[in-house]
Amino acid sequence: MNDSYAVDVEGVSKSFGAYKALNGVNLRVRQGEIYGLLGPNGAGKTTLIRLVCGLLAAQAGTVTVLGQRMPNVAVLRHIGYMTQQAALYPALSVEENVTFFAAINGADGGVKEALELVQLYDRRGSVVATLSGGMRQRCSLACALVHRPELLLLDEPTVGIDPQLRVQFWESFRQMAAGGTTIIISSHVMDEADRCQRLGLIQYGRLLAEGSPADIRAQGGSPNLEEAFLALAGRKES
Amino acid sequence: MSGHRVRAITRRLLQGFRRDRRTLALLFVAPIVILGLLGYLMRGSTSSPAVGIANEDAGPLGAMVADALRHSSHITTTDINGSDGDARLKDGSLVAYIVLPADFSQRAQGGTVAPEVHLEGSQPGVDSSVLQALQQAMITLASQVVGRSVSFQPQIKRLHGGPNYDTLDYFGAAFVGLVVFFLVFVITIVSFLNERSQGTLERLMASPLRRGEIVLGYMLGFTVIALVQAAEVLIFSLAVLKIQNQGNVLLIFGMEALMAIAAVNLGIFLSMFARSEFQAVQFIPLVVVPQILLSGIIFPVSTEPKALQYLSNILPLTYAVNGMRDIMVKGADLTWSSLQLDAGVVAGFCVLLIAAGTATLRRRLG
Repeated sequence: MNDSYAVDVEGVSKSFGAYKALNGVNLRVRQGEIYGLLGPNGAGKTTLIRLVCGLLAAQAGTVTVLGQRMPNVAVLRHIGYMTQQAALYPALSVEENVTFFAAINGADGGVKEALELVQLYDRRGSVVATLSGGMRQRCSLACALVHRPELLLLDEPTVGIDPQLRVQFWESFRQMAAGGTTIIISSHVMDEADRCQRLGLIQYGRLLAEGSPADIRAQGGSPNLEEAFLALAGRKES
Repeated sequence: MSGHRVRAITRRLLQGFRRDRRTLALLFVAPIVILGLLGYLMRGSTSSPAVGIANEDAGPLGAMVADALRHSSHITTTDINGSDGDARLKDGSLVAYIVLPADFSQRAQGGTVAPEVHLEGSQPGVDSSVLQALQQAMITLASQVVGRSVSFQPQIKRLHGGPNYDTLDYFGAAFVGLVVFFLVFVITIVSFLNERSQGTLERLMASPLRRGEIVLGYMLGFTVIALVQAAEVLIFSLAVLKIQNQGNVLLIFGMEALMAIAAVNLGIFLSMFARSEFQAVQFIPLVVVPQILLSGIIFPVSTEPKALQYLSNILPLTYAVNGMRDIMVKGADLTWSSLQLDAGVVAGFCVLLIAAGTATLRRRLG
């Protein structure tokens, strides 16, 4: 275990019945790094993220987050988790949702800043049930980062968000990372992968390749990230 | 209209049922369980109301009436001393006692038959069995007092209730609590499942919240709503329906509140065993209906078949219903040991469910 790693996953396996979702995965993410978990649907990305925030327990291996073995309730205060589905209370307003998640994470304030970051401050009084999918996604992000977590886990955060706002999201992610926040983003969209500092390609519950986008291109033998990924996935399969 | 499209819908529906074993079980098992229980309750009952007879008559007719009562199929009789009667009504060992006074034969010969009927009074159905048995005994008597018309003038005294006490008073006392229990249970189980299905429970679990904090927070939130509802139900029952109340209103409210807290926690606990609102709704017939049948709301527990009495005695609703009736019909207060037991059991059940809900919360996330 090394304390300079915000997340240290060692030899982790997780099965659901006969289905092996993760099989001996090793993953290390440094503090302040933006790490992209790439892979097709069902590859094991969400399972890995759930293990990192202690929602699931591994059957083999260890997960260490911010120097503490998971699951550990005390560490959760420093983690922000945005689920794939915009998990919000539909009957509450945008502001009420964000205020609630601030409160349960022990943060005072920060609601206005979080809402401004996702550009929902003007809609803070709107009831979530009346919002579009993209707006819900933004509100969900605000809920995940309102308590200024040291580790932000984002499960497909930019699904349903228009390109203009996506650029702004990434600008925010970069600023947060520069301020020391570690960010793990799962995605199956390749142009997002290019924005990450490091990538892990995951398929069939295994980490196929790891490195900077340039490393992955080199490993896959293609200047195009998507082709490189397909080449790496095919190589492992055959 | 296309037969093909209609068939597609029908087929889709049946295919869904094929994979939903729980719904199938409910469809085919629940009616048998509920009707079987009802049948056993209504036909399997061997015990008839226990009635005491105090024959103080100096003449021969008292013994004749007492004998006719002993052979009645409507009641089970015990010979008692008239002076012990009230104590035995209070301790619940008798639902009524009949005194045939010293001048019974003498007055009967004069044309007036006047037995004293002392009814416990809180169970209207039982009262009618007692009066029916007495009436039959009087017919036997009338055949012995030949040649004169006999006027039957029973002196009816009630320990509880009173002449205006009716079925609504008896059922109302139980239903005031039951309505709150039932509605709060349904609302809690569905909301807690929403928390699962909309994904927010996963978020709560990934926060520093502890399981006990989630359960307690939920309990307090729903209890606030439930208490407002309990107050509304109580005011409507007393002021509009004019259900008879001998007890302290605050005590009724306290008992309602305990039932609401029990319902909230039962809802949270059972939500762990359902994956959707659809499945949650299925708990209503399986969990709530047998409780309603067995808790003494409709059929007094004392007249149930013995086997079902054991079951009734472990259901918390039995104690809740008994407590509500003790307060409203009999004017019980917290010095009554029966009410202490009732409130204690319901409170204990709440604590047990809070612990069970907390313990099972994480299990279903993984």
